[in-house]
Amino acid sequence: MTSRRILTALPRTAAMTILTLVVLGPLYWVTISAFKGREEIIRSTPTLVPETFTLSNFEQLFQATQYPVFLRNSVIVAVGTTVVTLLFSLGAAYGLYRLKVPGSGRIAAAVLLSYLIPGTLVIVPLYSMLASLQLIDTYAALILVNVAFTAPFCTWLLRGFVLAIPRDLDEAAALDGAGPLRTMVQIVLPLLAPGIATVTVYSFVFSWTEFVYASQFVVSASMQTLPIGLSAIVGQYTVNWGLVMAGTLFTLLPTAVLFLFVGRHFVGGLIAGATK
Amino acid sequence: MLVAPIVAVMLLVIALPVFSAVATSMQDQRIVGSPSAFVGFDTYATVLADGGFWAALGRSGIWLVANMAVQTVLAFATALLLQRSAWWSRAARTWIVLPWVIPTVAVAVIWQWMLNSNYGIVYKILDAIGIQIGAPFGNPAHALWAVILVNSWHWFPLSAIVIYGALATVPVEVLEAAKVDGAGAWRTFWSITLPLIQPILFALGLVGSLWSFGILDSIYLTTAGGPAGATTTMPVYVYDTAFSAFRTSQAAAASVLTVIVLVIAATLFARLARSKEET
Repeated sequence: MTSRRILTALPRTAAMTILTLVVLGPLYWVTISAFKGREEIIRSTPTLVPETFTLSNFEQLFQATQYPVFLRNSVIVAVGTTVVTLLFSLGAAYGLYRLKVPGSGRIAAAVLLSYLIPGTLVIVPLYSMLASLQLIDTYAALILVNVAFTAPFCTWLLRGFVLAIPRDLDEAAALDGAGPLRTMVQIVLPLLAPGIATVTVYSFVFSWTEFVYASQFVVSASMQTLPIGLSAIVGQYTVNWGLVMAGTLFTLLPTAVLFLFVGRHFVGGLIAGATK
Repeated sequence: MLVAPIVAVMLLVIALPVFSAVATSMQDQRIVGSPSAFVGFDTYATVLADGGFWAALGRSGIWLVANMAVQTVLAFATALLLQRSAWWSRAARTWIVLPWVIPTVAVAVIWQWMLNSNYGIVYKILDAIGIQIGAPFGNPAHALWAVILVNSWHWFPLSAIVIYGALATVPVEVLEAAKVDGAGAWRTFWSITLPLIQPILFALGLVGSLWSFGILDSIYLTTAGGPAGATTTMPVYVYDTAFSAFRTSQAAAASVLTVIVLVIAATLFARLARSKEET
């Protein structure tokens, strides 16, 4: 019986091991590579654990490259995108799915449909449009474009949460003399907390990782976000793998750490939103 | 009032550009925003006669199908593992999403580093067991597949989480009833679980396909569409035509044609899925 049990568990254990290696292996590898010295990192037989931990790659990253500038720009764009996305998608979800403003069904469908058009296909006219608004090379351009790609998804994500709020609550609040705005802020908002957390994480991750629009709509080096900055560092220091790995680690770390703390809530919120 | 901001943003960032693409595609614009004259459908004729356009469309087809196939298999396998109650599954529910939350540029750098033929760990391991991969991103025969695998690594966790959530919506009583009736795990999965989660799979398939189709960064950061155009999918073609070849009108015409193709494909997909649901 036990041997049969082991036999049936074997493929599953193997799958779990492979999945762990495939997902976490590369992250482990980039992390330890960033701590390796110049000689050790290019050894023909790679060492699985660094023989000597060095911080020289990180020192160089902060002193010789524009990393701190890129970091600041990324934080501004990501926080800006997150705040605007939250305001817009909360407003939209509340208006479309709870207040049911006239034409709700059609507006919701139109927003979702336009969201399904691959943004990379409209990048050319988008550039012209931003240029005519004199927004090229501004944070506003990146935030505006990011919001167009986060807000529709987030509105849809919030739909399930908004629909789950009992309608009686409004009437009770109205009886107590609360207006629609007060009802939304004081009664509905706290109930939407898990949805809001999910939307926050999603829009932060989206704008933190966004590359295509940031590469075209921002021109000057002092305005570039981390993904663009990192690819410039990679191009410039192509043989200095230690520095490249340190830069990569410090580009992925903010969202990865964010996720290790709130990941569980995000996953829960995404599932609740997607399956309702 | 509440809904106006999102509508304004979508009009400005998506709807207006789509209309402006239609207008631009009927002109002969070179550098983005430069003065140009109306030429009617001439630009469309040029694009349709360009072998590069058709090759890019074909490559996008391969890209889409292969990405969806690889990611669906990985995501389903992962979701089934996440569903268990062992400590591994509980921990994995948190870290499984890591490949998705890290920037694509980091994904590209990590895999280029691990596949590097001089120092790459994956290259060395494969070499040690007798598999010579050469330079996967530099070989026209392998580049597209290499990028598809890297892109799948980046994106499968999101589908895995959604499928895991969908599986959790299947009532336990139903599964137990099937067990009592003597249905095996495989049979239960095909006849009960799959039909029950079909609506979610449909949405995931449609949205996932359109997202996959539009991906530019994974390709641009690993191969930049090369070598020799081997990884130039439609978004790369549009991007290069506009920003490297400075043929803005041709890029716009290609975009318009592609959106039309996508709308037709999505409609067919929706109809197919619906007819399946009814039977």
